[in-house]
Amino acid sequence: MTEPQVRALFNQIAEGEGGPSLVDTQLALRRGRVRLRWRRACVAGAPVLAAAAAAVVALAVAAGPVRPGAGPAAAGPAAPRQFNPLNPNVSFGWLPAGESIMQGGAQRTEVYMEAGRPSDFPGWGLGVYARGQCHLTGSAGGLKCSGETPLQDVTARFSGRAPAVGGHTAFWAGTNLVWPYARGGWAWLNIPVHNFSTLRHDTVTQGQAIKIARHLRFGAATPPLVFPAQLTGLTSQWRISEVHYQADAGVLHADSYTLTTGMSRFFPHVGDLGIWTNAPYIDIHPSPRTGTCTPHDPATRNTSEIINGYRVVVKRSAAGGHPEQELCAAYADGLWLDIIEFGPRPLIGVSSLFRQHLQLLGTDPANWTKNPIR
Amino acid sequence: VSRSRDAEYCEYVAARLSSLRRLAAVLCDDWQRADDLVQATLTKLYVHWGRARAADHPDAYARTVLVHEFIQERRSLWVRRVSLVGRVSDSPAVVVDHDVVLDLRAAVAALPARQRATLVLRFYCDLNVDRCAEVLGCSPGTVKSQTARALEAVRRALGPGHDADTGDQARRARGNATSTRSDRP
Repeated sequence: MTEPQVRALFNQIAEGEGGPSLVDTQLALRRGRVRLRWRRACVAGAPVLAAAAAAVVALAVAAGPVRPGAGPAAAGPAAPRQFNPLNPNVSFGWLPAGESIMQGGAQRTEVYMEAGRPSDFPGWGLGVYARGQCHLTGSAGGLKCSGETPLQDVTARFSGRAPAVGGHTAFWAGTNLVWPYARGGWAWLNIPVHNFSTLRHDTVTQGQAIKIARHLRFGAATPPLVFPAQLTGLTSQWRISEVHYQADAGVLHADSYTLTTGMSRFFPHVGDLGIWTNAPYIDIHPSPRTGTCTPHDPATRNTSEIINGYRVVVKRSAAGGHPEQELCAAYADGLWLDIIEFGPRPLIGVSSLFRQHLQLLGTDPANWTKNPIR
Repeated sequence: VSRSRDAEYCEYVAARLSSLRRLAAVLCDDWQRADDLVQATLTKLYVHWGRARAADHPDAYARTVLVHEFIQERRSLWVRRVSLVGRVSDSPAVVVDHDVVLDLRAAVAALPARQRATLVLRFYCDLNVDRCAEVLGCSPGTVKSQTARALEAVRRALGPGHDADTGDQARRARGNATSTRSDRP
């Protein structure tokens, strides 16, 4: 007789008064984007910039062609040819009251940051390209920037001239402010407004965008970027090619990064964002209260193992015809960890990486390291 | 990340949020924690949206994610520190015999997460043993044994003689429940 009682109880709970939903779909979407962006492919600023580019195409007003050649050419120091992914490379010198950096990322050819209030989405999205990555498109009065993969290429059509930034001609491009921050290097600031029509009549937001751009700080004097784990004993061919981080009290906490070698190869047509083979994707951060490993999938072969004293789940499956292996630890010294690697013959498997090379540093950022590979 | 993907995801969530919340509430017996659970589930669902939308039954996929999230959450140290075993939700009971319902509620709340999830999948989602096993990632035999153990634990907690007193009550309670099976994830 217990079964019908249990059924009745569950029905009663389900029909109870739950009050208004506190679930924030946009927050879930935002967090999901961050995870996708950084674990599926090295596409640091692509979603932000791709979305921005789409907005540019869709919303740019017919203000007549803007000829960038009419303004002063970018002079002075040259932009870096490559960025160091272990360094944020740029920081906000000014933001509107109550706003701060929330997250960002770096790879060799571009860096990106997002700032605002945690409750706001999206915030200000900054993308900075290394020298030679962006080129003016002469006929349309626009800009095209190339990322490390074809999926990261973005284009913008200038909507109108903006006040100069650092002595360089700047342009409105849809909901973006675009300008050369140094010789050969361009920056985009995606402005958190719905469309260019809104921005065109919002002089306050325009002023804020210009002020943010003018106060950006480039170079090494940026907030420290620290990692919750350190890789040891790897051959010198390995390097970290891109990093994503979250900001917390002025310190940048790396929570997602990718190891690559000269053998790593990008397949753009796998999944939504393409994949790298021979390139372990590492997600790691303090284990949340609801921390778990990826959901059960009948198509996935899962094994639960103890490695170095930590319980981990190792999964083997395939993505777009490429074998995929994943190691997940929901709680390892208080850290949640996920390593994914694609490819039939990975140079270093996820279990080997975890067992032999990854040293966890606990949950206290004071003990984390600025040198993720020793 | 394409806008169509986002739009598709948001459309799905908007349509299913209510039923996901109800399932989470049944699992957690606490609407606030249910919302936390759904929040975490939606993030994970977005990450795996490619698989979810390609699945024959996206609802089943979402349900699987949610149930796994629930079980994992209950395993975490944080929950073990703050959770009071046998805690009864502060939501008011609506059926007539308050004592019996409260006892039953406490007994079910005291079950281990996996056993509670098994009962929810069997008796709230109306899944058969095989489907339940797929969701939980275990064998059908394990589902059967988990179900039996859970029901036995509830019977023990309710004490002897509860069947005769509450069977009619349960039927009445079921009659009061107006949810339809079709909107369950």
